[in-house]
Amino acid sequence: MRPGTAAPAGPGTPSRRRFVSIAGTAGLAAGALGILAALARSVVPEVFYEPARRFPVGRPADFPPGSVTLVSERRLFVFNTPEGFYCVSAVCTHLGCNVNHEEGKGFACPCHGSTFGEDGSVSKGPAAWPLPRFAIGLSRRGELVVDTRRTVAASFRLKA
Amino acid sequence: MSEERPAARGAAPEPRAEGGAGSLLRANAVLRSIFRTGWPRSRQQRLAAMLSSLVLHVHPTRVRVSVLRPSYTLGLGLISFFLFVVLTVTGLVLMLYYVPHTQAAYRSMKDLQYAVAFGMFLRNAHRWAAHAMVAVVFLHMCRVFFTGAYLRPREFNWVVGVGLLLLTLALSFTGYLLPWDQLAYWAITVGTSIVAYFPLLGPQVRYLLLGGHEIGQAALLRFYVLHCIVLPLAMAGLVALHFWRVRKDGGLSAAPHASQRRVTAWPHLVLRELLVLVLVVAAVNALALLFDAPLEEIADATRTPNPAKAPWYFLGLQELVHYGALLGGVVVPTALVLALVVLPYLDTRPRGVGVWFARERWLANAVFAAVALALVAVTVIGTFFRGPNWAWVLPWTR
Repeated sequence: MRPGTAAPAGPGTPSRRRFVSIAGTAGLAAGALGILAALARSVVPEVFYEPARRFPVGRPADFPPGSVTLVSERRLFVFNTPEGFYCVSAVCTHLGCNVNHEEGKGFACPCHGSTFGEDGSVSKGPAAWPLPRFAIGLSRRGELVVDTRRTVAASFRLKA
Repeated sequence: MSEERPAARGAAPEPRAEGGAGSLLRANAVLRSIFRTGWPRSRQQRLAAMLSSLVLHVHPTRVRVSVLRPSYTLGLGLISFFLFVVLTVTGLVLMLYYVPHTQAAYRSMKDLQYAVAFGMFLRNAHRWAAHAMVAVVFLHMCRVFFTGAYLRPREFNWVVGVGLLLLTLALSFTGYLLPWDQLAYWAITVGTSIVAYFPLLGPQVRYLLLGGHEIGQAALLRFYVLHCIVLPLAMAGLVALHFWRVRKDGGLSAAPHASQRRVTAWPHLVLRELLVLVLVVAAVNALALLFDAPLEEIADATRTPNPAKAPWYFLGLQELVHYGALLGGVVVPTALVLALVVLPYLDTRPRGVGVWFARERWLANAVFAAVALALVAVTVIGTFFRGPNWAWVLPWTR
Protein backbone atom coordinates (compact mmCIF):
# COMPACT_ATOMS: atom_id res chain seq x y z
CA MET A 1 0.00 0.00 0.00
CA ARG A 2 1.42 3.37 -0.99
CA PRO A 3 1.62 5.95 1.74
CA GLY A 4 -0.62 8.37 -0.13
CA THR A 5 -3.55 5.95 -0.39
CA ALA A 6 -3.68 4.87 3.27
CA ALA A 7 -6.73 6.05 5.14
CA PRO A 8 -5.80 8.22 8.13
CA ALA A 9 -5.55 5.95 11.15
CA GLY A 10 -7.42 7.24 14.18
CA PRO A 11 -9.98 6.16 16.72
CA GLY A 12 -12.80 4.35 14.98
CA THR A 13 -10.83 3.84 11.79
CA PRO A 14 -9.72 0.24 11.38
CA SER A 15 -5.97 0.33 11.11
CA ARG A 16 -3.82 -2.54 9.90
CA ARG A 17 -2.78 -3.30 13.47
CA ARG A 18 -6.39 -3.50 14.58
CA PHE A 19 -7.25 -5.77 11.68
CA VAL A 20 -4.38 -8.13 12.44
CA SER A 21 -5.31 -8.20 16.12
CA ILE A 22 -8.97 -9.00 15.41
CA ALA A 23 -8.13 -11.57 12.74
CA GLY A 24 -5.51 -13.16 15.00
CA THR A 25 -7.86 -13.39 17.98
CA ALA A 26 -10.66 -14.75 15.80
CA GLY A 27 -8.29 -17.32 14.29
CA LEU A 28 -7.10 -18.51 17.68
CA ALA A 29 -10.66 -18.64 19.00
CA ALA A 30 -11.79 -20.62 15.96
CA GLY A 31 -8.90 -23.05 16.41
CA ALA A 32 -9.63 -23.50 20.11
CA LEU A 33 -13.33 -24.02 19.40
CA GLY A 34 -12.47 -26.55 16.73
CA ILE A 35 -10.31 -28.55 19.11
CA LEU A 36 -12.98 -28.43 21.82
CA ALA A 37 -15.66 -29.46 19.32
CA ALA A 38 -13.52 -32.40 18.19
CA LEU A 39 -12.96 -33.46 21.81
CA ALA A 40 -16.67 -33.16 22.58
CA ARG A 41 -17.56 -35.10 19.44
CA SER A 42 -15.26 -37.96 20.38
CA VAL A 43 -17.36 -38.50 23.51
CA VAL A 44 -20.32 -39.49 21.31
CA PRO A 45 -20.15 -43.27 20.93
CA GLU A 46 -19.66 -44.74 17.44
CA VAL A 47 -19.20 -48.40 18.31
CA PHE A 48 -21.71 -50.15 20.51
CA TYR A 49 -20.65 -53.06 22.64
CA GLU A 50 -24.23 -53.93 23.30
CA PRO A 51 -26.68 -56.39 21.82
CA ALA A 52 -27.72 -55.64 18.25
CA ARG A 53 -30.88 -53.61 18.03
CA ARG A 54 -32.17 -55.67 15.10
CA PHE A 55 -32.26 -59.36 15.88
CA PRO A 56 -34.14 -62.61 15.19
CA VAL A 57 -36.47 -63.83 17.94
CA GLY A 58 -37.38 -67.24 16.51
CA ARG A 59 -39.49 -68.92 13.84
CA PRO A 60 -43.20 -68.07 13.55
CA ALA A 61 -44.00 -71.65 14.54
CA ASP A 62 -42.29 -71.03 17.92
CA PHE A 63 -45.14 -68.67 18.80
CA PRO A 64 -48.44 -70.60 19.00
CA PRO A 65 -51.54 -68.82 17.61
CA GLY A 66 -53.19 -66.61 20.20
CA SER A 67 -50.13 -66.56 22.46
CA VAL A 68 -48.17 -63.77 24.12
CA THR A 69 -44.49 -64.65 24.54
CA LEU A 70 -41.99 -62.79 26.70
CA VAL A 71 -38.53 -62.73 25.11
CA SER A 72 -36.87 -61.85 28.41
CA GLU A 73 -33.28 -61.38 27.20
CA ARG A 74 -34.58 -58.88 24.62
CA ARG A 75 -37.07 -57.29 27.00
CA LEU A 76 -40.10 -57.51 24.66
CA PHE A 77 -43.33 -59.42 24.05
CA VAL A 78 -44.28 -61.14 20.79
CA PHE A 79 -48.03 -61.42 20.14
CA ASN A 80 -49.42 -63.91 17.67
CA THR A 81 -53.01 -62.92 16.92
CA PRO A 82 -55.38 -64.07 14.18
CA GLU A 83 -54.62 -60.80 12.35
CA GLY A 84 -50.86 -61.40 12.50
CA PHE A 85 -47.74 -60.86 14.65
CA TYR A 86 -46.79 -57.74 16.54
CA CYS A 87 -44.18 -56.85 19.11
CA VAL A 88 -44.55 -54.74 22.29
CA SER A 89 -41.66 -53.43 24.41
CA ALA A 90 -41.39 -54.84 27.93
CA VAL A 91 -39.55 -51.76 29.18
CA CYS A 92 -41.79 -49.46 31.20
CA THR A 93 -41.83 -45.96 29.71
CA HIS A 94 -41.80 -44.49 33.22
CA LEU A 95 -38.37 -45.40 34.62
CA GLY A 96 -37.20 -48.39 32.64
CA CYS A 97 -38.26 -51.42 34.71
CA ASN A 98 -39.53 -54.61 33.03
CA VAL A 99 -43.34 -54.86 32.92
CA ASN A 100 -45.19 -58.13 33.50
CA HIS A 101 -48.01 -59.33 31.26
CA GLU A 102 -51.28 -60.61 32.67
CA GLU A 103 -53.38 -62.46 30.15
CA GLY A 104 -56.35 -60.35 29.03
CA LYS A 105 -55.58 -57.60 31.55
CA GLY A 106 -52.56 -55.94 29.99
CA PHE A 107 -49.20 -55.01 31.49
CA ALA A 108 -48.20 -54.01 35.02
CA CYS A 109 -44.92 -52.44 36.11
CA PRO A 110 -43.56 -53.77 39.44
CA CYS A 111 -41.57 -50.63 40.22
CA HIS A 112 -43.98 -47.76 40.38
CA GLY A 113 -47.36 -49.27 39.71
CA SER A 114 -47.98 -48.16 36.13
CA THR A 115 -50.46 -50.34 34.25
CA PHE A 116 -50.99 -50.62 30.52
CA GLY A 117 -53.87 -52.06 28.53
CA GLU A 118 -53.53 -55.11 26.29
CA ASP A 119 -52.72 -52.71 23.42
CA GLY A 120 -49.90 -51.08 25.42
CA SER A 121 -51.74 -47.83 26.13
CA VAL A 122 -51.44 -46.32 29.61
CA SER A 123 -54.37 -47.23 31.82
CA LYS A 124 -52.84 -45.97 35.07
CA GLY A 125 -49.85 -43.69 35.68
CA PRO A 126 -47.21 -42.65 36.57
CA ALA A 127 -46.10 -43.71 33.09
CA ALA A 128 -46.95 -40.99 30.59
CA TRP A 129 -46.43 -42.82 27.30
CA PRO A 130 -47.70 -46.15 25.91
CA LEU A 131 -45.38 -49.12 25.53
CA PRO A 132 -43.84 -48.76 22.07
CA ARG A 133 -44.48 -51.28 19.27
CA PHE A 134 -41.35 -52.40 17.51
CA ALA A 135 -41.12 -53.19 13.81
CA ILE A 136 -41.25 -56.93 13.20
CA GLY A 137 -40.57 -58.66 9.89
CA LEU A 138 -39.65 -61.97 8.35
CA SER A 139 -36.06 -62.71 7.35
CA ARG A 140 -35.12 -64.70 4.25
CA ARG A 141 -34.31 -67.58 6.56
CA GLY A 142 -37.92 -67.52 7.68
CA GLU A 143 -37.23 -66.04 11.14
CA LEU A 144 -39.13 -63.28 12.84
CA VAL A 145 -36.83 -60.26 13.10
CA VAL A 146 -37.46 -57.36 15.49
CA ASP A 147 -35.95 -53.91 14.92
CA THR A 148 -36.06 -51.91 18.17
CA ARG A 149 -34.78 -48.80 16.37
CA ARG A 150 -38.08 -48.55 14.52
CA THR A 151 -41.44 -48.15 16.21
CA VAL A 152 -44.66 -48.77 14.35
CA ALA A 153 -48.32 -47.81 14.74
CA ALA A 154 -50.54 -49.88 17.03
CA SER A 155 -52.44 -51.12 13.97
CA PHE A 156 -49.36 -52.83 12.56
CA ARG A 157 -49.65 -56.62 12.06
CA LEU A 158 -47.28 -58.99 10.33
CA LYS A 159 -48.94 -61.72 8.28
CA ALA A 160 -46.67 -64.69 8.42
CA MET B 1 17.38 -15.67 62.77
CA SER B 2 18.00 -17.41 66.06
CA GLU B 3 19.77 -20.42 64.54
CA GLU B 4 22.58 -18.11 63.36
CA ARG B 5 23.56 -17.24 66.89
CA PRO B 6 25.30 -20.42 68.10
CA ALA B 7 27.68 -20.21 65.17
CA ALA B 8 28.46 -16.58 65.98
CA ARG B 9 29.19 -17.53 69.56
CA GLY B 10 31.82 -19.95 68.33
CA ALA B 11 32.24 -23.52 69.44
CA ALA B 12 29.65 -23.41 72.25
CA PRO B 13 27.33 -26.40 71.58
CA GLU B 14 23.57 -25.91 71.31
CA PRO B 15 21.98 -26.52 74.70
CA ARG B 16 19.62 -29.51 74.50
CA ALA B 17 17.63 -28.84 77.63
CA GLU B 18 14.25 -28.36 75.94
CA GLY B 19 13.84 -31.80 74.34
CA GLY B 20 10.98 -32.81 72.02
CA ALA B 21 10.26 -31.69 68.51
CA GLY B 22 11.72 -28.23 69.07
CA SER B 23 15.25 -29.36 69.79
CA LEU B 24 15.10 -32.02 67.08
CA LEU B 25 14.20 -29.32 64.59
CA ARG B 26 17.03 -27.11 65.70
CA ALA B 27 19.54 -29.92 65.61
CA ASN B 28 18.72 -31.40 62.23
CA ALA B 29 19.78 -29.48 59.13
CA VAL B 30 17.50 -31.56 56.89
CA LEU B 31 14.42 -30.93 59.02
CA ARG B 32 15.37 -27.26 59.21
CA SER B 33 15.53 -27.09 55.42
CA ILE B 34 11.93 -28.32 55.28
CA PHE B 35 10.40 -26.44 58.22
CA ARG B 36 12.20 -23.09 58.06
CA THR B 37 10.54 -21.44 61.02
CA GLY B 38 11.24 -24.15 63.56
CA TRP B 39 8.70 -25.47 66.05
CA PRO B 40 6.26 -22.58 66.64
CA ARG B 41 6.87 -21.31 70.14
CA SER B 42 6.86 -17.57 70.14
CA ARG B 43 3.95 -15.59 68.77
CA GLN B 44 6.09 -14.59 65.80
CA GLN B 45 6.96 -18.20 65.04
CA ARG B 46 3.30 -19.15 65.24
CA LEU B 47 2.40 -16.56 62.64
CA ALA B 48 5.37 -17.55 60.48
CA ALA B 49 4.48 -21.26 60.73
CA MET B 50 1.10 -20.63 59.13
CA LEU B 51 2.62 -18.56 56.32
CA SER B 52 5.55 -20.80 55.49
CA SER B 53 3.67 -24.08 55.04
CA LEU B 54 1.91 -24.95 51.78
CA VAL B 55 -0.79 -26.86 53.64
CA LEU B 56 -1.26 -24.41 56.49
CA HIS B 57 -1.10 -21.18 54.50
CA VAL B 58 -4.64 -21.81 53.28
CA HIS B 59 -5.55 -20.63 56.77
CA PRO B 60 -5.24 -17.11 58.11
CA THR B 61 -2.48 -16.49 60.65
CA ARG B 62 -5.00 -15.36 63.23
CA VAL B 63 -8.68 -16.24 63.59
CA ARG B 64 -11.58 -14.63 65.41
CA VAL B 65 -12.56 -16.61 68.46
CA SER B 66 -16.21 -16.23 67.44
CA VAL B 67 -15.77 -18.53 64.41
CA LEU B 68 -13.91 -21.16 66.42
CA ARG B 69 -17.01 -21.96 68.44
CA PRO B 70 -18.15 -25.44 67.38
CA SER B 71 -21.76 -24.41 67.97
CA TYR B 72 -21.50 -21.81 65.21
CA THR B 73 -20.21 -23.82 62.21
CA LEU B 74 -20.71 -27.32 63.63
CA GLY B 75 -17.55 -28.03 61.64
CA LEU B 76 -19.70 -29.28 58.78
CA GLY B 77 -17.62 -27.84 55.94
CA LEU B 78 -14.48 -29.30 57.42
CA ILE B 79 -16.17 -32.67 57.97
CA SER B 80 -17.23 -32.69 54.30
CA PHE B 81 -13.65 -32.01 53.26
CA PHE B 82 -12.18 -34.71 55.48
CA LEU B 83 -14.79 -37.19 54.21
CA PHE B 84 -13.61 -36.33 50.70
CA VAL B 85 -10.04 -37.06 51.81
CA VAL B 86 -11.11 -40.40 53.34
CA LEU B 87 -12.97 -41.24 50.11
CA THR B 88 -9.93 -40.37 47.99
CA VAL B 89 -7.61 -42.57 50.05
CA THR B 90 -9.95 -45.57 50.32
CA GLY B 91 -10.98 -45.11 46.68
CA LEU B 92 -7.38 -45.24 45.49
CA VAL B 93 -6.81 -48.57 47.24
CA LEU B 94 -10.11 -49.96 45.92
CA MET B 95 -8.97 -49.01 42.40
CA LEU B 96 -6.08 -51.49 42.72
CA TYR B 97 -8.61 -54.34 42.77
CA TYR B 98 -11.62 -53.09 40.88
CA VAL B 99 -11.90 -53.90 37.16
CA PRO B 100 -14.49 -51.83 35.25
CA HIS B 101 -15.67 -54.62 32.99
CA THR B 102 -19.11 -56.22 33.04
CA GLN B 103 -17.51 -59.69 33.20
CA ALA B 104 -15.12 -58.77 36.01
CA ALA B 105 -16.64 -55.97 38.08
CA TYR B 106 -18.89 -58.13 40.23
CA ARG B 107 -16.13 -60.68 40.75
CA SER B 108 -13.75 -57.97 41.93
CA MET B 109 -16.37 -56.97 44.51
CA LYS B 110 -16.39 -60.57 45.73
CA ASP B 111 -12.59 -60.52 45.82
CA LEU B 112 -12.69 -57.36 47.89
CA GLN B 113 -15.15 -58.93 50.28
CA TYR B 114 -13.55 -62.32 50.69
CA ALA B 115 -9.92 -62.32 49.49
CA VAL B 116 -8.33 -58.88 49.81
CA ALA B 117 -6.88 -58.14 53.25
CA PHE B 118 -9.26 -55.66 54.90
CA GLY B 119 -11.09 -55.44 51.56
CA MET B 120 -14.54 -55.52 53.15
CA PHE B 121 -13.46 -52.87 55.61
CA LEU B 122 -12.21 -50.64 52.78
CA ARG B 123 -15.42 -51.07 50.83
CA ASN B 124 -17.53 -50.35 53.90
CA ALA B 125 -15.51 -47.24 54.76
CA HIS B 126 -15.80 -45.95 51.20
CA ARG B 127 -19.52 -46.56 51.05
CA TRP B 128 -20.46 -45.08 54.41
CA ALA B 129 -18.15 -42.09 53.93
CA ALA B 130 -19.85 -41.43 50.57
CA HIS B 131 -23.34 -41.57 52.08
CA ALA B 132 -22.19 -39.40 54.97
CA MET B 133 -20.68 -36.86 52.61
CA VAL B 134 -23.99 -36.37 50.77
CA ALA B 135 -25.73 -35.80 54.10
CA VAL B 136 -23.03 -33.56 55.61
CA VAL B 137 -22.70 -31.37 52.50
CA PHE B 138 -26.48 -30.86 52.62
CA LEU B 139 -26.33 -30.01 56.32
CA HIS B 140 -23.42 -27.63 55.67
CA MET B 141 -25.59 -25.80 53.15
CA CYS B 142 -28.39 -25.56 55.71
CA ARG B 143 -25.92 -24.18 58.30
CA VAL B 144 -24.65 -21.54 55.89
CA PHE B 145 -28.20 -20.52 55.05
CA PHE B 146 -29.53 -20.38 58.61
CA THR B 147 -26.57 -18.24 59.71
CA GLY B 148 -26.97 -15.90 56.72
CA ALA B 149 -23.40 -16.65 55.70
CA TYR B 150 -24.29 -16.77 51.99
CA LEU B 151 -25.12 -13.05 51.88
CA ARG B 152 -22.87 -10.35 50.44
CA PRO B 153 -19.89 -10.54 50.07
CA ARG B 154 -20.09 -14.34 50.02
CA GLU B 155 -22.71 -14.73 47.24
CA PHE B 156 -20.31 -16.25 44.75
CA ASN B 157 -18.86 -18.72 47.21
CA TRP B 158 -22.41 -19.92 47.91
CA VAL B 159 -22.79 -20.59 44.19
CA VAL B 160 -19.49 -22.51 44.24
CA GLY B 161 -20.94 -24.47 47.16
CA VAL B 162 -24.04 -25.33 45.13
CA GLY B 163 -21.67 -26.67 42.47
CA LEU B 164 -19.91 -28.76 45.13
CA LEU B 165 -23.26 -30.18 46.29
CA LEU B 166 -24.10 -31.20 42.72
CA LEU B 167 -20.62 -32.70 42.26
CA THR B 168 -21.04 -34.67 45.49
CA LEU B 169 -24.33 -36.10 44.22
CA ALA B 170 -22.78 -36.89 40.82
CA LEU B 171 -19.80 -38.62 42.45
CA SER B 172 -22.03 -40.71 44.66
CA PHE B 173 -24.35 -41.57 41.78
CA THR B 174 -21.56 -42.64 39.38
CA GLY B 175 -20.01 -44.77 42.12
CA TYR B 176 -23.33 -46.48 42.74
CA LEU B 177 -23.18 -48.43 39.44
CA LEU B 178 -19.67 -49.82 39.87
CA PRO B 179 -20.42 -52.92 42.05
CA TRP B 180 -22.51 -54.20 39.11
CA ASP B 181 -25.06 -55.94 41.29
CA GLN B 182 -28.85 -55.81 41.06
CA LEU B 183 -29.00 -52.86 43.48
CA ALA B 184 -26.54 -50.89 41.33
CA TYR B 185 -28.01 -51.84 37.98
CA TRP B 186 -31.61 -50.96 38.75
CA ALA B 187 -30.82 -47.85 40.78
CA ILE B 188 -28.89 -46.50 37.80
CA THR B 189 -31.65 -47.63 35.43
CA VAL B 190 -34.15 -45.61 37.42
CA GLY B 191 -31.72 -42.71 37.94
CA THR B 192 -30.72 -42.33 34.30
CA SER B 193 -34.37 -42.66 33.29
CA ILE B 194 -35.13 -39.66 35.47
CA VAL B 195 -32.36 -37.81 33.59
CA ALA B 196 -34.08 -38.65 30.31
CA TYR B 197 -37.21 -36.80 31.41
CA PHE B 198 -35.43 -33.50 31.00
CA PRO B 199 -36.87 -31.90 27.87
CA LEU B 200 -34.72 -31.71 24.71
CA LEU B 201 -31.37 -32.46 26.35
CA GLY B 202 -32.43 -35.29 28.67
CA PRO B 203 -32.38 -38.25 26.24
CA GLN B 204 -29.11 -36.99 24.70
CA VAL B 205 -27.44 -36.61 28.10
CA ARG B 206 -28.56 -40.12 29.04
CA TYR B 207 -27.22 -41.46 25.74
CA LEU B 208 -23.83 -39.78 26.28
CA LEU B 209 -23.73 -40.86 29.92
CA LEU B 210 -24.42 -44.49 29.02
CA GLY B 211 -22.35 -44.42 25.83
CA GLY B 212 -25.19 -46.30 24.18
CA HIS B 213 -28.83 -47.17 24.52
CA GLU B 214 -28.73 -49.34 27.60
CA ILE B 215 -26.59 -49.89 30.68
CA GLY B 216 -23.74 -52.10 29.54
CA GLN B 217 -19.97 -52.12 29.16
CA ALA B 218 -19.81 -48.59 27.74
CA ALA B 219 -21.89 -47.20 30.61
CA LEU B 220 -19.80 -48.99 33.23
CA LEU B 221 -16.55 -47.61 31.79
CA ARG B 222 -17.95 -44.08 31.50
CA PHE B 223 -19.25 -44.12 35.05
CA TYR B 224 -15.87 -45.45 36.20
CA VAL B 225 -13.89 -42.69 34.45
CA LEU B 226 -16.29 -40.03 35.70
CA HIS B 227 -16.18 -41.45 39.22
CA CYS B 228 -12.42 -41.94 39.52
CA ILE B 229 -10.95 -39.11 37.44
CA VAL B 230 -13.24 -36.44 36.00
CA LEU B 231 -15.45 -35.70 38.98
CA PRO B 232 -12.77 -35.97 41.73
CA LEU B 233 -10.51 -33.56 39.80
CA ALA B 234 -13.40 -31.16 39.30
CA MET B 235 -14.20 -31.53 43.00
CA ALA B 236 -10.60 -30.82 44.05
CA GLY B 237 -10.49 -27.71 41.87
CA LEU B 238 -13.81 -26.41 43.14
CA VAL B 239 -12.87 -27.17 46.76
CA ALA B 240 -9.69 -25.11 46.29
CA LEU B 241 -11.74 -22.25 44.87
CA HIS B 242 -14.24 -22.58 47.75
CA PHE B 243 -11.49 -22.39 50.40
CA TRP B 244 -9.67 -19.56 48.65
CA ARG B 245 -12.87 -17.55 48.43
CA VAL B 246 -13.52 -18.05 52.14
CA ARG B 247 -10.29 -16.13 52.73
CA LYS B 248 -10.86 -13.56 49.97
CA ASP B 249 -14.41 -12.87 51.19
CA GLY B 250 -13.13 -11.94 54.62
CA GLY B 251 -12.94 -15.27 56.42
CA LEU B 252 -15.82 -17.14 57.98
CA SER B 253 -18.90 -15.02 58.58
CA ALA B 254 -19.37 -13.51 62.01
CA ALA B 255 -21.95 -11.25 63.58
CA PRO B 256 -20.98 -7.55 63.78
CA HIS B 257 -21.44 -7.63 67.55
CA ALA B 258 -19.40 -10.81 67.98
CA SER B 259 -16.10 -10.60 69.80
CA GLN B 260 -13.34 -9.14 67.66
CA ARG B 261 -10.71 -10.96 69.69
CA ARG B 262 -8.35 -12.99 67.57
CA VAL B 263 -6.05 -15.84 68.47
CA THR B 264 -3.19 -17.30 66.47
CA ALA B 265 -4.30 -20.04 64.10
CA TRP B 266 -1.40 -22.16 65.45
CA PRO B 267 -2.35 -23.94 67.60
CA HIS B 268 -5.96 -22.87 68.19
CA LEU B 269 -7.35 -23.53 64.70
CA VAL B 270 -4.90 -26.22 63.61
CA LEU B 271 -5.52 -28.40 66.68
CA ARG B 272 -9.30 -28.06 66.32
CA GLU B 273 -9.08 -29.13 62.69
CA LEU B 274 -6.91 -32.06 63.68
CA LEU B 275 -9.52 -33.04 66.25
CA VAL B 276 -12.27 -32.95 63.58
CA LEU B 277 -10.10 -35.13 61.32
CA VAL B 278 -9.61 -37.65 64.11
CA LEU B 279 -13.34 -37.70 64.86
CA VAL B 280 -14.24 -38.15 61.18
CA VAL B 281 -11.78 -41.01 60.72
CA ALA B 282 -12.94 -42.61 63.95
CA ALA B 283 -16.60 -42.35 62.95
CA VAL B 284 -15.99 -43.82 59.47
CA ASN B 285 -13.95 -46.62 61.07
CA ALA B 286 -16.71 -47.39 63.51
CA LEU B 287 -19.36 -47.47 60.77
CA ALA B 288 -17.16 -49.65 58.55
CA LEU B 289 -16.59 -52.11 61.38
CA LEU B 290 -20.24 -52.26 62.42
CA PHE B 291 -22.12 -52.28 59.11
CA ASP B 292 -21.36 -54.09 55.87
CA ALA B 293 -21.99 -52.45 52.51
CA PRO B 294 -24.74 -54.26 50.61
CA LEU B 295 -23.99 -56.49 47.65
CA GLU B 296 -26.87 -58.25 45.91
CA GLU B 297 -26.79 -60.78 43.09
CA ILE B 298 -25.01 -59.88 39.86
CA ALA B 299 -26.77 -57.35 37.61
CA ASP B 300 -29.49 -58.92 35.47
CA ALA B 301 -31.35 -56.82 32.91
CA THR B 302 -34.09 -59.42 32.58
CA ARG B 303 -35.12 -59.42 36.23
CA THR B 304 -36.42 -56.22 37.79
CA PRO B 305 -36.44 -56.24 41.59
CA ASN B 306 -39.67 -55.02 43.09
CA PRO B 307 -39.55 -52.19 44.00
CA ALA B 308 -36.61 -50.78 42.04
CA LYS B 309 -35.23 -47.75 43.82
CA ALA B 310 -32.72 -45.04 42.98
CA PRO B 311 -29.95 -44.22 45.53
CA TRP B 312 -31.56 -42.83 48.69
CA TYR B 313 -30.63 -39.20 48.01
CA PHE B 314 -32.62 -39.37 44.76
CA LEU B 315 -35.60 -41.16 46.30
CA GLY B 316 -37.23 -37.80 46.99
CA LEU B 317 -37.08 -37.09 43.28
CA GLN B 318 -38.28 -40.61 42.50
CA GLU B 319 -41.22 -40.10 44.85
CA LEU B 320 -42.07 -36.89 42.98
CA VAL B 321 -41.60 -38.63 39.61
CA HIS B 322 -44.24 -41.06 40.84
CA TYR B 323 -46.76 -38.21 40.95
CA GLY B 324 -45.69 -36.83 37.60
CA ALA B 325 -42.64 -37.18 35.42
CA LEU B 326 -42.48 -33.51 34.54
CA LEU B 327 -42.88 -32.44 38.17
CA GLY B 328 -40.27 -34.70 39.72
CA GLY B 329 -37.87 -35.07 36.83
CA VAL B 330 -37.77 -31.51 35.57
CA VAL B 331 -39.69 -28.81 37.40
CA VAL B 332 -38.66 -29.48 40.99
CA PRO B 333 -34.91 -30.18 40.51
CA THR B 334 -34.46 -27.30 38.06
CA ALA B 335 -36.37 -24.90 40.27
CA LEU B 336 -34.41 -25.97 43.35
CA VAL B 337 -30.97 -25.53 41.75
CA LEU B 338 -31.93 -22.24 40.08
CA ALA B 339 -33.37 -20.93 43.33
CA LEU B 340 -30.19 -21.86 45.21
CA VAL B 341 -28.01 -20.10 42.63
CA VAL B 342 -29.97 -16.83 42.42
CA LEU B 343 -30.88 -16.72 46.11
CA PRO B 344 -27.86 -14.70 47.36
CA TYR B 345 -28.32 -12.20 44.52
CA LEU B 346 -31.97 -11.60 45.34
CA ASP B 347 -31.39 -10.97 49.03
CA THR B 348 -29.18 -7.92 48.69
CA ARG B 349 -29.31 -6.55 52.23
CA PRO B 350 -27.00 -8.56 54.46
CA ARG B 351 -28.88 -8.63 57.75
CA GLY B 352 -28.57 -11.10 60.56
CA VAL B 353 -25.27 -12.47 59.25
CA GLY B 354 -23.36 -14.66 61.67
CA VAL B 355 -26.33 -15.53 63.86
CA TRP B 356 -28.30 -18.78 63.81
CA PHE B 357 -31.95 -18.15 62.91
CA ALA B 358 -31.63 -14.36 63.07
CA ARG B 359 -34.95 -12.70 63.84
CA GLU B 360 -34.59 -10.26 60.93
CA ARG B 361 -34.30 -13.17 58.53
CA TRP B 362 -37.27 -15.18 59.81
CA LEU B 363 -39.08 -15.24 56.47
CA ALA B 364 -36.07 -16.44 54.43
CA ASN B 365 -35.22 -19.01 57.11
CA ALA B 366 -38.82 -20.24 57.30
CA VAL B 367 -39.07 -20.68 53.52
CA PHE B 368 -35.71 -22.46 53.34
CA ALA B 369 -36.56 -24.69 56.29
CA ALA B 370 -39.93 -25.57 54.72
CA VAL B 371 -38.33 -26.53 51.40
CA ALA B 372 -35.51 -28.48 53.08
CA LEU B 373 -37.97 -30.33 55.33
CA ALA B 374 -40.22 -31.12 52.35
CA LEU B 375 -37.22 -32.56 50.53
CA VAL B 376 -36.27 -34.63 53.57
CA ALA B 377 -39.91 -35.76 53.93
CA VAL B 378 -40.29 -37.03 50.34
CA THR B 379 -36.89 -38.73 50.65
CA VAL B 380 -37.99 -40.50 53.84
CA ILE B 381 -41.27 -41.52 52.19
CA GLY B 382 -39.46 -42.85 49.11
CA THR B 383 -36.94 -44.71 51.25
CA PHE B 384 -39.04 -46.26 53.99
CA PHE B 385 -42.70 -45.99 53.03
CA ARG B 386 -42.65 -47.40 49.50
CA GLY B 387 -42.83 -51.11 48.87
CA PRO B 388 -43.55 -53.34 45.88
CA ASN B 389 -45.26 -51.56 42.98
CA TRP B 390 -44.35 -48.32 44.79
CA ALA B 391 -47.36 -48.96 46.99
CA TRP B 392 -47.60 -47.31 50.40
CA VAL B 393 -46.19 -49.53 53.17
CA LEU B 394 -45.44 -48.91 56.81
CA PRO B 395 -41.79 -49.77 57.44
CA TRP B 396 -42.53 -51.48 60.77
CA THR B 397 -45.09 -53.87 59.21
CA ARG B 398 -42.57 -55.35 56.76
